[in-house]
Order: sequence, then C-alpha cells, then structure tokens
Amino acid sequence: MSRLFSWEGFLFSCLVVIFTFNAIAAPDFLGISNQINLFQLSIEKIILALVMTFVIINAEIDLSVGSMMGLSGCTFGYLYQMGVPAPLVIVICLIIGIAGGLFNGWFVARLGLPSLVVTLATLIGFRGLARVMLEDRGIGSFPDWFAALGQRGLIGPVPFALIAFILLFLLLYVLLERSGFGRKTYVIGSNRDVADFAGIDTARHKMVIFTMSGLAAAFAGLLYAARVGAVRGDVASGFELDVITIVLLGGVSIFGGRGTLVGTLLSILIVLNLRNGMALLSITGHIQTGVIGLLLIASVVIPRIKLPTPRSLKPEAAP
Amino acid sequence: MTLNPAPTLALRGVSKNFGMTAALTDMTLELFPGEVHAIVGENGAGKSTVIKIMTGIHQPSSGVLEVDGAPAVLNGSKSARLRGIAAIYQEPMVFPDLDVSENIFISATSGLFLNRPAMRRAARELIARIGMTLNVDRIASGLSLAEQQAVEIARALSQDVRVLIMDEPTASLSAHEASELRRIARALADDGVSVVYISHRLEEVFQLADRVSVIRDGKHISTKLIADTDPQTLIAEMVGREVGNYFTKMPSTATSEILLSLQGLSVDGVFENISFDIKRGEILAMAGLIGARRTDVALALFGMLKTSAGTVTYKGHTLKITSSRQAIDAGIAYVSEDRRKMGLAMALPIRWNISLATLQKYLTPMGLINTRAEIATAWEYKQKLNIRTPNTDIAVGNLSGGNQQKVMLAKWLNMHPDLLIVDEPTRGIDVGAKAEVHALIRAFTAAGGTALVISSDLPEVLALGDRILVMREGRQMAIINHADASQESIMALATGQKDAA
Repeated sequence: MSRLFSWEGFLFSCLVVIFTFNAIAAPDFLGISNQINLFQLSIEKIILALVMTFVIINAEIDLSVGSMMGLSGCTFGYLYQMGVPAPLVIVICLIIGIAGGLFNGWFVARLGLPSLVVTLATLIGFRGLARVMLEDRGIGSFPDWFAALGQRGLIGPVPFALIAFILLFLLLYVLLERSGFGRKTYVIGSNRDVADFAGIDTARHKMVIFTMSGLAAAFAGLLYAARVGAVRGDVASGFELDVITIVLLGGVSIFGGRGTLVGTLLSILIVLNLRNGMALLSITGHIQTGVIGLLLIASVVIPRIKLPTPRSLKPEAAP
Repeated sequence: MTLNPAPTLALRGVSKNFGMTAALTDMTLELFPGEVHAIVGENGAGKSTVIKIMTGIHQPSSGVLEVDGAPAVLNGSKSARLRGIAAIYQEPMVFPDLDVSENIFISATSGLFLNRPAMRRAARELIARIGMTLNVDRIASGLSLAEQQAVEIARALSQDVRVLIMDEPTASLSAHEASELRRIARALADDGVSVVYISHRLEEVFQLADRVSVIRDGKHISTKLIADTDPQTLIAEMVGREVGNYFTKMPSTATSEILLSLQGLSVDGVFENISFDIKRGEILAMAGLIGARRTDVALALFGMLKTSAGTVTYKGHTLKITSSRQAIDAGIAYVSEDRRKMGLAMALPIRWNISLATLQKYLTPMGLINTRAEIATAWEYKQKLNIRTPNTDIAVGNLSGGNQQKVMLAKWLNMHPDLLIVDEPTRGIDVGAKAEVHALIRAFTAAGGTALVISSDLPEVLALGDRILVMREGRQMAIINHADASQESIMALATGQKDAA
C-alpha cells in the first residue's frame, strides 16, 4: 500500500504546484466563484469518475457511461415534452440507468463476457436509442425549478450538483475504504478466483457495481440537462474517455485491485485546476488535452520506474 | 539397436538454477539414434526442466549440451528445431481453424505464396510414413487428441527431426490410441530418430523403451537397458530419497465418529466412484500422480465442481453443496494447491487475506469493517503460525512461499472448520516451513478438526496420513492404513503397477 500512498503524495504535490502557480499567474483564480465554476463545468464527469473508480478497481470497465448520460438526458427531454410531469420523468430516467447497468452487469458477470466489449456495445446501443428519440432536434425550456437546480446556487453560491458531488464522495469513500462491500470490490478486482473460493458471490457483486455505474450515469445526464437547459442526441458524447482518464491518473490500476477514492479526488482537482490555469494563460483546449494526456502516460510510467526488476526476472546470461 | 559412438544429443554435467533453487544438478544423459529412451521420475523430479534445456527454452546454468558430439548452444525452440530437436506434449499445439496439411507445414512457409498441391502431397507422405490414415484436408478442430498428436509428429518429421521428445503423450489418450502412438514412436526409432519418452505409466515404459533413465530431485540416478531392470527397481529408484526426521509420523488422533462419508461420488469424465469415510480427528491423505484427479474430488466437496452421481453424508446428513458459500457455511474449508491463482490475492495486505473467508465476522451491523478486530485476528495468526513479517499490512506477495502458505492456512483456520481440505500443503516451500505446516495440520486434528490432505509428495503422505487413499486417472485404487503403507506400495498403485485391492 505504501507505493500507492506515495502516488497520492505525488498527486498532492502536483496539485500544490499547480494551485500556487495559478494563484500567482491569475489573481482571480482563488475567488470562490472561479473555484465553484471550475467544478460546475465538469460536474457530471467528476461524479462519474467516483463510480468509475469502483468499476476499474473491480477489474472491469464501463464505456457506456457517456451514452447512458445522453440516453437519460434525452429521455428527460422527450418525455417532458410529451407532457409527463418532470418529477415522474426523473424517476423514469433513474430507472433506465438502473436497467442499463443491470443489462451490462448481466452480460459481464453472469455470461462472463469482457466488459470492454459489452459496454462498447451498449455505448453504441444507448446512444442509438437517444438519437432515435430526438433525431436531430434539441429540446429545451425545462421547468424553472429544474433549470435553477442546475444553474443557481442552492446553499449560498454552491449549486445542487456540487453538494451532490461532495455527499456522494463521502458516501462512496466510506463504502470503498471502510465497508465489506468495498473490501470485496478490491479482492474481486485483484483476483476473482480467490474471491470465488472464499465464498463471495462475485457475479452478484459485479452486477451491483455496473448498476451503480448506470444509475450514476443517468443521474449525471439529468444534471447535464438541468445545467445546460437543453438536450440533444449527442449529449455527453466521448465523456467516458475523460472519466476513465481521471480515474487512471488518480492511480487506479487498469488491471484492478489497486487505487483509492482519494486518488481519484486528487486527480479530479488536478485536471480541473490544470485546465483552468492553462485557460487563464490563454492556452488552447487542444494543448490542454495534450498536457492531460502526457500526465496520464506519466501516471502509468512513474510507478513502474520505482519498481526494481526482481532478480529472478532478469534475463540470464548464456553459459 | 546399436549404440553409435557419438550420441545425437547429450547433456554433460548440466545444472540449472532458478534463483536459489536448483532444478537440475550435474545431469548427464545421452541419446543415441534409433533408441527409445524413457525418462521416469516423480512429479517435480526435474523432467520438464530436462525437456526445456533439450529444446532450448532454458539455458543450462553450467555444464554442456552436445549435439552430434560437439558443444552447442540452443537459443529457443526455433534454434532447437533447426538442429532437428522437437518436442510434443500431452496437449498438442494445433491451430484449430487450419487443415491438417497447413498445420503440418505451419512454420515452413518459405516464399510468398503457398504451393498448396505440393504441400498436400508432402503432408500425405508424412502421414503415411507414420502409418496413419488421415485426410490432410480435414480442419484440425475436428481431430481427436491422438490425431492432433499425429499432426504434431508429422510436423516434426517435416523438419527432419532427429530427436523427438514426447512428454506424457499418452496421458489423455484411450488405450487403443495410446498403443497406436507407441507404435508410431517405435517406427520413428526404427527410422533412426532418437525418441525421448516421458511417462508415468511404467507398463508402457517396459513395452516400448530400449533404455530408461531415472531422475530424482534434479539428479540423474540411473540409466539402464530395459532388460536390466524391472518395475520394482525403478519405483525404488524414483522414490528413494533420504527421509528427514520431520517426516516422522505422529500418532493418529482419530475418534470413532464419522464426519464425512462419500458414496460413489462421480463427476462425468473427471473421476468416478469415489467412496470413503473420514472420522473426526483423522487425517486422510490422498496420494497419486498429477492427473489422478485428486484436486477435482476436493473441488466437488467444496461446491466448485458439479457432481454427476453419488452422495455425500456429512455430520450424519446428506449434503448437496453447489457453491463455495454453502461449503464454508457447512464448515468445510479448502486450501488450494495454487497459491497464486486461487489461494491468495497477492497484491493485497496479509490482513485482508486472512479475514477474507470470514469477512462477515468483522462487519458491523452497518456493513462496515471492524478494523481493530481484524488486526487482532491477523496478529493472533501471525504469532500462532509464526508468519515472518514486520506487520500485517504489507502485500502478501512480498512474503516467502512458506509464509504465504501459512497466511493461506490462517485464512481457513480462522473459520474454525470441521473439515479442512489441504491441497499440496507444502509445495514449493522449504524444509523448515514444511515441518511447521505439518505440525499445524497435526495440531488442528488434535484439537478435534478433521483433515483431508492431498499430496504428491510421498514422504509427506506417509508423515501425515492416518490412512492413505491412492487415486489413479480418476479412479480410487485403494485405501491403505498407515501401518501397511510404504512409498513403494503407494507408487505401485499410483502408476497402475498394482491393481486396486
């Protein structure tokens, strides 16, 4: 575990450097409204990153989260426009998220198909459903309370979505790091056979995690609809890659079994502040993306450099 | 058969070390053209290391490999193949989507285009040369195991093989297919090929081989003409290592109460008709060679393998177990033979591994982990089992094999099982740790537990087993009382030299 903490320490140092640099370069940076704005602009992705941390520690992947967000947002717009009351539509959207997650989970956990393939298929499928519903239309003019929830502060200047993020982080932190459920998540991700032999119902556990992921994505889709005030068929397209990037940068192993939610949180803060700082310095979005990419490569390479090659694995000299 | 002065392939004083472990020590073997040379030895004696050195997969740490009397360095199986050395294994390597002729000439595609008619003609000749009838246009996925092996042999012949190593080629074949394969091996030798034949079946060694070499603990014990030896001598040579005093048998602690009783337990195609009783406090050892299907019996008892027939009576009731959860709830623990794959989550802390099978004991009503209780348990076992580690938070993969084995035992002892199934309790651990693990199992049964110990290590079987059940190829050969058992009698049953009593 010590190596993991040192990765988090490294992330924390990065964060301090970026923070200091930003504060010096742009005095507005430390303003509360800038900081809130930072979170608000990416709130859906960072909520998804929290749940994606569970998925990846469990040695799976969920590529369908962006499409599920789109499906949920579009379903909201479509049904609301048809005259279904908004609260009811919200419930329907969340149920769709649960159903989509169960669908993924069933194929992965019960049939043993690779999650990369299953969720790639649902990435296409969920997106297709969203586009079938809305075709090329955009739907907007949602009820005032819904838009306000997405756009205005709920407690002082802090909007609903940010409060939801903080509460969700605390809840998921306890779940992953302190509960039996979290422990099983690590063990299954580290070695599923060992978990099977220890009497853990690994298939059910994986179903639950995919369901959590689907539900979170549907919730994020609703947040998006509220924040932007309109939905189209391509809502949240490609979000899954940003989400996975954040999680991996946070030190979660793509092979499962390793990583912490604190790492993911630090990674979220780094990505947000780095982008913000670069924007304040008028660095374009494409270069920002490139820098994040470099960081991701570093996150994979640096922990490896620190590991010395075990002696037995070194190639032996010919006699 | 005549012995030419220069062997086709020879190992002279070859040693092979993996880290601190010596897999082979001063091994000398000579293979002559036209002979079938059998190599026999217990599991782990070093047979596969010999093969890997002969086929260039491993390089000797010291000593010389000679081809045609001259020292040679083989870098990888391709370089061995170029010298005419090839191996076929129990599980043939064929490409299921290609046909027979393509499989035979898989690595012979010189030039950009395949000359299919010529290839098929050549394939037919090779198949005919080994006396098989096989349509070269058939797709390999439809071939039987024996036919796939024929394809592999033909492939080796296509590359002008001079040394053909056959590693337990008949282990998965029917009696008829096996005799066909032996006929092919004999025909190749008559053709001038040196055939190395590795087998656990002594009867086929005596049917087929010209000479036989025994290896044991990585050392060459003997090489004799087949006429100069007999099965009893071979078995004695295979098992006759010095037995340290940690192999002293402790008195049985068996009571009269029967804990578990199997009646005709079978899993289709895996094992059949296994029947035995274990009394509380008893240690029943299961002996046999690799492939005897002992582990599968354990997996069936642990709910990880579906049984097709037979009944299990446990604590006086019929028990039908279909999952590991049910087995654990019934008080049955299974300590796997494969620490890395099924036993331990190597990257996770020792403490997490120890509490894994009994996690619910450490959960609060809210489902949170009571870390203090978990740490207390981990330290209790660290002390009781003498697990050498500064703390219980480090990844279990950092420990030595013996200490990993103790962590695995701690995991299962912590559920206080009625029946502890231990599969290869001391594989790959040093002698000191072995003695400690043996003492632990003894202490467990002395305290009222019951143990089923699967071991391929004969001295261990004799040191632990109050009674010994010998299996061979999915069948129960005999149950012997400790007083009547010897390494030789167990080996004779395990190799099929002696029939079921």
